[in-house]
Amino acid sequence: MESKKSEKTLFGVLAEVRNPKELIDIAKTISDSGYRMYDTYSPFPIHGMDAAMKLKKPKLGWIVLGHGLVGFFGAIAMIYFMAVIDYPLNISGKTLMNVPAWVPVTFELTILLSAFGATFGMFALNGLPKFNHPLFNSEKFEKVTDDGFFVCIEATDPQFEVDKVRNLMEKAGAVHIEEVYDE
Amino acid sequence: MATSPKLTDSVKFPAEMDTTKTLFGVGIVGLIASGVGFFLNHEQFFFSYLTSYTFFTSFALAALFLVMIHHITRSSWGTVLLRIPETFSSNIWIWALFFIPVLLGMGTLYSWTDPDYVTGDPIMEGKVPYLNELFFILRQIFYFGVWGWLGYRLHKASVEMDLTKDWGLTTLMRKISAPGILIFSLTLAFASFDWLMSLDAHWFSTMFGVYFFAMSFQALFPLLFLLIIWMQSKGILENTISRGHIYDLGAWFFAFTVFYAYIAFSQFILIYYANIPEATIWYYHRLEGSWAFISYSLIFGRFAIPFLVLLNRDSKHSRKVLIFTSVLVLFMHFIELYWIAMPIMHGHGISISWMDFALIFGLGGIFFGLFFQKLKKHNLVPVNDPKLGESMAKHYHQ
Repeated sequence: MESKKSEKTLFGVLAEVRNPKELIDIAKTISDSGYRMYDTYSPFPIHGMDAAMKLKKPKLGWIVLGHGLVGFFGAIAMIYFMAVIDYPLNISGKTLMNVPAWVPVTFELTILLSAFGATFGMFALNGLPKFNHPLFNSEKFEKVTDDGFFVCIEATDPQFEVDKVRNLMEKAGAVHIEEVYDE
Repeated sequence: MATSPKLTDSVKFPAEMDTTKTLFGVGIVGLIASGVGFFLNHEQFFFSYLTSYTFFTSFALAALFLVMIHHITRSSWGTVLLRIPETFSSNIWIWALFFIPVLLGMGTLYSWTDPDYVTGDPIMEGKVPYLNELFFILRQIFYFGVWGWLGYRLHKASVEMDLTKDWGLTTLMRKISAPGILIFSLTLAFASFDWLMSLDAHWFSTMFGVYFFAMSFQALFPLLFLLIIWMQSKGILENTISRGHIYDLGAWFFAFTVFYAYIAFSQFILIYYANIPEATIWYYHRLEGSWAFISYSLIFGRFAIPFLVLLNRDSKHSRKVLIFTSVLVLFMHFIELYWIAMPIMHGHGISISWMDFALIFGLGGIFFGLFFQKLKKHNLVPVNDPKLGESMAKHYHQ
């Protein structure tokens, strides 16, 4: 057993708790103890988890804003180039700088790029697409899509020490603790 | 999770905060002053009256819509503040009396009442079956009858539940609201055609009804903010209406700022792009002289500035930001109604009259006087509403 384990790298220590309330409590304990590289896993979103884990505000909004601005100014630049510089057309006597008629395209491009920013930005921030995750190596963890509530402190955390982490989780009331290895 | 929080605030409007008499006083003084104005310049009086009247009525109607949406979606988020829009809409039946001056001024306000204007004009002659004085009056009775009944009945059922704890009333309110929304949207659209669109009897826009609705509904949220912020600064419902509720109202405000801009611009772009003279003339008049200044200021004051300010999620519950945005949008709501009605009378440019102000105070005093008079009579929160606990347990996420 010992030799087999040492071939793999330790991903983290996974702990199971009984219900959402306990998950929030254990998340609070962990974040209060100074751990940062950890995550909680549950079958559904839990109110108050962001605060318990002391998560910062998501950056996604700024990514969307950036994309939206690119769409907005990009559309204006594109229409200006096409309708005023490259191929000026007289449409029912209106001026070339026919701003009201530019609005729908500008609006659509702003929305389109914002939506791209939101979708792909979310992918990037979540590290998607991901084909596998070390936690899938744990059999217990399969319950997470049904009725399991888990927390995992990852080995990349600067404070990480297996015994200390196990100890902390035991004290915090975890019902099952295991080490998860990356294959 | 945890048990529902209990109401800790007093649900009675504090007697020492009673502003009803002051408001009625302001209203009566304003109305008497503008009554003097009637003898000096009756045309100005009627136009100012119509502008102010639609301004205040739009809040009551938007409030009625919000209440019906609340019931029909079985919402719980807004139960703690439901009494405020309920009270606004419960007064429509009394408020209808103040429409009588508009009926008396029909001959001055609406050119289609003049037979000389209509005869010989094929467009106007074709509109006679709809735009005639008798049918106009009958329609107004119907509109106010429908709105007045809906507002009164929904408020009454909600107040009844405070006393009887009969949760069956929520079913009744839902059953009233479902057909209520349908008939409300039709009557609101036709009322806006009658009151504002037919001022320029030649012109029409099929989007005018939804345009008026979008304006009114956007302007309701700033009014609710100012009321709630004022009430909470006096310690009323301080712990009941929380940051989560304010944030939700902020989200509505933001959404309907975008909706308003979408509708208002859609109406404009269709007319602008089709370029048919009889349709463009309405905007043409409003892009002439000093009216153009208002046309452009609407883009910024009612859309661009509130949009950019409210885009940030923190500003949706920041009191200072909300007060600023609310005052701006309420002001622009009045300006927009002014900009719809007044160019008919003052074609060459803005011409501010003292009667505009007198009637804002006059009708506003009465409108808010009626509001507070009713608000203080009942509980400020529907205390026995089955969804109250859920509403109070509302969390604000970051």
